Amino acid sequence: MNTQYVNNPEAAKEYLPRYRLVYFLLAFTTVFFLMRLWYLQIIKGSELREFSEKNRIKEIKMTAPRGLIFDREGRILVENLAAYDAVILPQYVDDLEKTTKALSEALGIGSDKIIQKIQKRRKQMGPFAVVKIKDNLSLDEVFRVQMLRIDYPGVEVRENIIRSYPLGANGAQLFGYVAEVSKKQLPILNQQYKEKFVFSQGDLIGKSGVEELRDIELRGKDGYSFIQVDAHGRELAETDDKILGQRIKDIEATPGHNIQLTIDKDLQEVAYKSFTDLERTGAIVAMQSNGEVLAWVSTPSFDPNEFSKGISPELFSKLIRDPFRPFRNKVIQDHAAPGSTFKSLMAIASLEEKVVTPSSIINCPGLIRFGNRPYHDHLRGGFGNIGIFEAIERSSNVFFYKMGISLGIDRIFKYVSLFGLGERTHIELKRETSGLLPNSEWKKKTYGEEWQPGESLSTAIGQGFVSATPLQMAVAYNTIGTEGKVVKPFLIKKLIDPTGQMIKENSPEIVRDLQKIQPNGVAISEETFKTVKEGMRRVVQGQRGTARAWKIPHIEMAGKTGTTQVKSFSADDIYTECSTRPLRLRHHGWFVGFAPADKPEITVAVLAEHACHGGSGAAPVVRDIIYAYMKKTRPELFADDKDQKTISIAPLPSASREPEIDGE
Amino acid sequence: MELGLKVEERTFLSKIDWYLVSMILILNAIGLVNLYSATHGISGEEMSTLFYQQLVWLFIGWGLFIILTIIDYQFLSRLAYVIYTLNFLALLGVTFFGKVAYGAQRWIELFFFRYQPSETMKLAVIILFAHTLSEKSTLGQGMSLKDLLWPLILLALPFALVVEQPDLGTAMMLIAIGGSMLLFIKVRKSILVSALISVMIAAPLAWNFGLRDYQKNRVLTFLSPTTDPRGTGYNSIQSKIAVGSGKFWGKGFRKGTQAQLEFLPERHTDFIYSVLSEEWGFAGSLFALGCFMVLFLIGTKIANQANDKFAALLTVGVMSYVFWHMFVNIGMVIGLLPIVGIPLPLLSYGGTSMLTTMCGLGIVSSVAYRRYLF
Repeated sequence: MNTQYVNNPEAAKEYLPRYRLVYFLLAFTTVFFLMRLWYLQIIKGSELREFSEKNRIKEIKMTAPRGLIFDREGRILVENLAAYDAVILPQYVDDLEKTTKALSEALGIGSDKIIQKIQKRRKQMGPFAVVKIKDNLSLDEVFRVQMLRIDYPGVEVRENIIRSYPLGANGAQLFGYVAEVSKKQLPILNQQYKEKFVFSQGDLIGKSGVEELRDIELRGKDGYSFIQVDAHGRELAETDDKILGQRIKDIEATPGHNIQLTIDKDLQEVAYKSFTDLERTGAIVAMQSNGEVLAWVSTPSFDPNEFSKGISPELFSKLIRDPFRPFRNKVIQDHAAPGSTFKSLMAIASLEEKVVTPSSIINCPGLIRFGNRPYHDHLRGGFGNIGIFEAIERSSNVFFYKMGISLGIDRIFKYVSLFGLGERTHIELKRETSGLLPNSEWKKKTYGEEWQPGESLSTAIGQGFVSATPLQMAVAYNTIGTEGKVVKPFLIKKLIDPTGQMIKENSPEIVRDLQKIQPNGVAISEETFKTVKEGMRRVVQGQRGTARAWKIPHIEMAGKTGTTQVKSFSADDIYTECSTRPLRLRHHGWFVGFAPADKPEITVAVLAEHACHGGSGAAPVVRDIIYAYMKKTRPELFADDKDQKTISIAPLPSASREPEIDGE
Repeated sequence: MELGLKVEERTFLSKIDWYLVSMILILNAIGLVNLYSATHGISGEEMSTLFYQQLVWLFIGWGLFIILTIIDYQFLSRLAYVIYTLNFLALLGVTFFGKVAYGAQRWIELFFFRYQPSETMKLAVIILFAHTLSEKSTLGQGMSLKDLLWPLILLALPFALVVEQPDLGTAMMLIAIGGSMLLFIKVRKSILVSALISVMIAAPLAWNFGLRDYQKNRVLTFLSPTTDPRGTGYNSIQSKIAVGSGKFWGKGFRKGTQAQLEFLPERHTDFIYSVLSEEWGFAGSLFALGCFMVLFLIGTKIANQANDKFAALLTVGVMSYVFWHMFVNIGMVIGLLPIVGIPLPLLSYGGTSMLTTMCGLGIVSSVAYRRYLF
């Protein structure tokens, strides 16, 4: 029914051709918009959908619980504890002024400080970001903040985990500590662990010790929870019916691997207590004869818990500036001249080279001259005619000067190097130093000079160029004790995954057996070892031994004291009483010992800084550790001891208060 | 069986163009459903009341539509200059009594209503242009410069005032509507060419001396939106994300995350089409676009069949009004044009836009109503 045109007046017909223009415009627009919509919604659709999801979904990291560290018996050495922070969630706050005032009263922080925190956070993260007001709340504070929640919406207590070190400062250098990854380190780590781990700002990483060494195994994998946020940053509750689109399942955090150390917590505590009770600083290492480290102390120390809580800048700079370097792991990072502890190794070289026999008697006056220079013994009158046993027992300098003259540096080197001096033990920890064992080649290379025969004399009593770490001395003495087994010391016994499955177990490793012929053509006879061990036994058990005051009941100990000059003194100074000198100039004291003397199970090395004597400075600590070890392993032997403290520190008989230089 | 030609008095209802009415109703429905979603996001009541306000505007709009359908459009022809002059005076008044909002003086507070003279000025220009242009026959050669002089003056006066407000979007709309009507009745080619050349010369001058900083920013942002995503480019980027993330079928009613979680700015007014695109996808976007196109075709047909030149021009004018608003709004929302504050007729929230559009469509309906002699 086409009735319309009947009524169409001529006048308006004039425009009829112009409608083509209109149709063209409409067609063009439709195509134009259609193509654009196709491009945005179909071609770029998935990509833009992702953008919209990124807008909507906020990733919240759930930090994986760090693996725990146990001792050899499964007792906790490093663990995680719950900590509580007071936070404000601005999106729920009704009255900010009242809320901050209430919080300020509950926490004892000025309201202006709280407001500052809120404003700072707002500037950085937008108006609805969670603001942490105070961390590590005390139980009291937790309770007070919980009470506030009723009247002041938006106030909350949030739980998080912090690393805890129940032993505190004891073993801090060994266990290490955790702190936030530094901005400098961040790109390096992310490069190093590409794809396996992603580190981001605020992540905690192990900064030293085992925490650093096994950070990757300990840290686990962080989980993520995905929550919906709006354009203003407000988080939407799980139950909110305004949750849109698909909810993304949380990715659970995987806890890190646990680590079992070879450390024995009891011995660790005994070692630390014994050392600190004597107000000593320095290093202790106790090792089982197969290389398993039982105790590891370096003092002065720091409390790693401070780092977990967020160390104050004042405390940190105080620790950094401490001249006794609390962060240093002195067991492997500090090396000192071994002093008279070197004499046992000299004795081995002398016996093997037949410079002396067990029955040789050598005249040892108070002083000998070599190349126009006098070389003193620490006993003014000398020891007279003595054999090798007494030379070790009483630590005669002149005896070993003579050995040094006869052997010469390169023959000393030939033997002593086999015991691991001058090279790293390759224990797991980082930053181990190698110490130094000189020979003529080294001297020439380093100084461009010939080795001076006189330098062999200093070396013979463990002075001069030679230096060793406490761990190296422990390994060397353990080799003597075991009659030739050079072991590789180790700390990590087992790596255990969170389900309890063992991932890796380290077993003892014998690096070389010195009774067998070594690459340098040397083998050391059992007889030699037995001779030197007897000398060392007498140091403790003998009538005139330098450590005779530090025996333990029932079990014989062997060892050697050492005193090390920090500074060369003029002849007049040599006999001045060490304890009258300024602390920094006092001698270091060494004691390295093992027990039982004939077939040792444990070897302990102690370096007591500025303790003047090896005997009184270091030996009591070794004695305490070995005593504790024996009581633990042989309870039946010690069951009869009424008072276990009977072996408390005995004063050194005055007769043996010998002026000390270069040994005792 | 009777003959096809039936001569009888038509009733009021049968004279109504029901195609036009139903198309408007469909667009109203789309608009309301979509506005409901846009106003019921996370912000709560403050926003959701806007939906009910829009319902009120819609009813008033339909009232005006019916009244204008009944009134003979010839009446408008006679009143053309009066309407224009009164509107122009109101526009002048805005400069003195208008309220400062968004850095521009645009409206007069009238009882319960913010009256925006620049919006009704568009209708006044349409009526006046239809009135003056229908008086002469210009086909053949097209309009000469002399013919164009008076209409251009009539256009330039409100244009100058609106630019001064400053409301560049509305000013450009006036040009687009007036220009469309002039082009519709044909303008000489030589004039078109010289106009094009003078625009090309004037544009850089206007850029340097005419535009305010925020206006320049919008254009710059359009050209390169990612340079400042949190600043001026934010709206444009979020809108594109909203539209694109709808993909083919959309995220569903009230499920558009960009809109519901308020990542999308101005989602109930200028960016209402993004909400639709996000929640209803390519399918929905195309459907709404199609509805507009059908409305324009219906309008074109009404113009085509109009009783006289005035009526035809009136319809073309109103349709160009709706068309250009739609063109600029959707163009900007989907990232084809810079961001300007132009609402989408029938879909965006807003009393002025709704009432003006319904008045315009009422006039078209009046034209349709009177195309029958009997």
